[in-house]
Amino acid sequence: MTHAIEITDLTKNFGSIHALSHLNLSVSSGEIFGLIGPNGAGKTTALRIISTLLLPTSGTVKVFGLDVVREADEVRKIITYLPEEAGAYRNLSGREYLEFMAKFRSKDKNETRDTVKEAAEICGLGERLKDKAKTYSKGMKRRLLVARALMTKPKLAILDEPTSGLDVLHSYHVREIIKSYVKEHGVTVLLSSHNMLEVEHLCDRVALVSKGQVVAEGRPQELKEKFGSANLEEVFAKVVGFA
Amino acid sequence: MLKGFGNILVKELKELIRDPKVLLGMIIVPLIMFPVLGGIMSFSIQSATEQAQKATVLVLNNDKENWSQVFIQNLNYTVRVFVVNDTSPANAVSNGLLSKYNTTQLIEIPSDFSKNITEYINIDKNVTTYVGVYSVFSGTGLLENVGSSLTSSFVSSFNRYYAPNIVSVNESSIVKGKIENIAPQTLTNLMISQAIAMPITIMILLTYAMQIAATSVAMEKEEKTLETLLSLPMDRFAILMGKLSGSILVAGIGAVAYMVGFNYYMGSFATAISTSTSMDLVSLGLAPSLFGYLLLGVSLFVTLLSALALAVILSAFAEDVRGAQSLVGYIYPFLFVPSILLMYIDVNALPLALKIVIYAIPYSHPIIASKAVTMGDYWTAVFGIVYVTAFTLVIMYIASRLFATEKILTMKLKFKGLRKRGKTSPEES
Repeated sequence: MTHAIEITDLTKNFGSIHALSHLNLSVSSGEIFGLIGPNGAGKTTALRIISTLLLPTSGTVKVFGLDVVREADEVRKIITYLPEEAGAYRNLSGREYLEFMAKFRSKDKNETRDTVKEAAEICGLGERLKDKAKTYSKGMKRRLLVARALMTKPKLAILDEPTSGLDVLHSYHVREIIKSYVKEHGVTVLLSSHNMLEVEHLCDRVALVSKGQVVAEGRPQELKEKFGSANLEEVFAKVVGFA
Repeated sequence: MLKGFGNILVKELKELIRDPKVLLGMIIVPLIMFPVLGGIMSFSIQSATEQAQKATVLVLNNDKENWSQVFIQNLNYTVRVFVVNDTSPANAVSNGLLSKYNTTQLIEIPSDFSKNITEYINIDKNVTTYVGVYSVFSGTGLLENVGSSLTSSFVSSFNRYYAPNIVSVNESSIVKGKIENIAPQTLTNLMISQAIAMPITIMILLTYAMQIAATSVAMEKEEKTLETLLSLPMDRFAILMGKLSGSILVAGIGAVAYMVGFNYYMGSFATAISTSTSMDLVSLGLAPSLFGYLLLGVSLFVTLLSALALAVILSAFAEDVRGAQSLVGYIYPFLFVPSILLMYIDVNALPLALKIVIYAIPYSHPIIASKAVTMGDYWTAVFGIVYVTAFTLVIMYIASRLFATEKILTMKLKFKGLRKRGKTSPEES
């Protein structure tokens, strides 16, 4: 099986802070993979390294066989990254924002137009796309950004806390977008969340991260059975010794 | 009394005073800035006066009698005097006597000087004697005519001592080696638009542009759109250049609007003065040539670029817009001090150490260039352009390196303990 992501012995230090410590992980092509763990576990740091934004202190990360340090430019061509609580440009309309982002990957105007059309369908914002982003609610903004991350059909979409802070309906909408898009276009999704119940329903496989290390990995059902737990929250608590 | 007012007030005061940005920006900076500006003003005036007092005066004595000797002797108590006999001001200028005696002030004593004074005193004849005072105009600033004022003041005291209104002064200016029948004060008034408008315009343009650039980068960081941009398949230098170019365009439009408005305002004075003297800067050769304007434009452009690149670097250390604006605020004294200083005084009149400091600040150079090109001194402008370009290249290189690495996302400058300068932070991980 082709590995979309292969992380080997990844360590990242910020001065005296050890954000990641010998993290190992592999994500298969076409799956939705969830990194779950509490705030400060190292999820965002891992996603930023995979997205070529940060450099590892040691260890290697490969995306579809490409090294994120030595072949960063090539990696950026096949990934999209959605930061946690990211915003859009406040004074651009939703459509202008999508056009702006689409132009970085489109070869011509027709491709840009088709990409924006695709994004408009994904986010379902309709006529509101003509309005400036500063008038959007948090949920609408997140739908716009998730659509931006998926509209170019990347080989790997990296989504940091895609539903964080959203209400039930918007969270549901975003999850449905991700699920259906992966099914239709075979995109690999790596997402992070501290909402373990949500991840349980969305991800094919998950890795539980604590203090910069993967403490358990597998299909949600397998993990629940292995630890005799009703849900992933309980699994996590048992793994880190809280329960 | 409003219920809860006191509690809210105490909370507000604690919040505001404990915020280092407020403390620095609102309290400490004004406490330092205004005394510094006051010091600059006082220094400028003192320096111009001292320079005028130290200056030498070339006296062209065309009078063979006693009174001219009395006049020269008295003048010698005030300034150092060189005397040349039987020469006209035009000859003195064309023969290079001013540079020979290293002076910018020339006094012509006419041949009937003693005769008129004697008649005035002995026969009580109502006759006035004129001395011609010629000042070299060098476009150095608002205090340029201190020298001619000192001469006028000397003549007044001479009159008070010997006889009221016995000697009058005919003031003229020497502009680019040509004698013009215009008083130095009038010429300074004509040049006031340039002397004040240029430094103020540059000051406002640079502060405005730096704020735009810093806000733009900080907004990207705050909204996390910068992370998105950095993960795109694009040249990161393009992000930097796009930001700088956008800021330059917006600031440029702002500067043009400002200059048009300000020049209209200042023009109203200049027009009134021009009408009264029937002189204008173009006919006096005091308007920059096309090449001069071109050099000035290049100087302004490279300075703007360096200021913007510096603002981008500083804002990379900030976590949010407010932090970026505070950081950029630390650059303002480097804009304000040279601008205000050079309004009043010529950079070459400063003590060596201060002169080096002013030349080292890149933001001084467009102001220095504006004066230099007016006087036809293109090399000073070219030197400034070369220096600021080199400075800008260094800053641009640092900025591009910053954008090329993870430091653009991880570097922070903590106010609490500046010793932690540049410490990296994982933010939320």
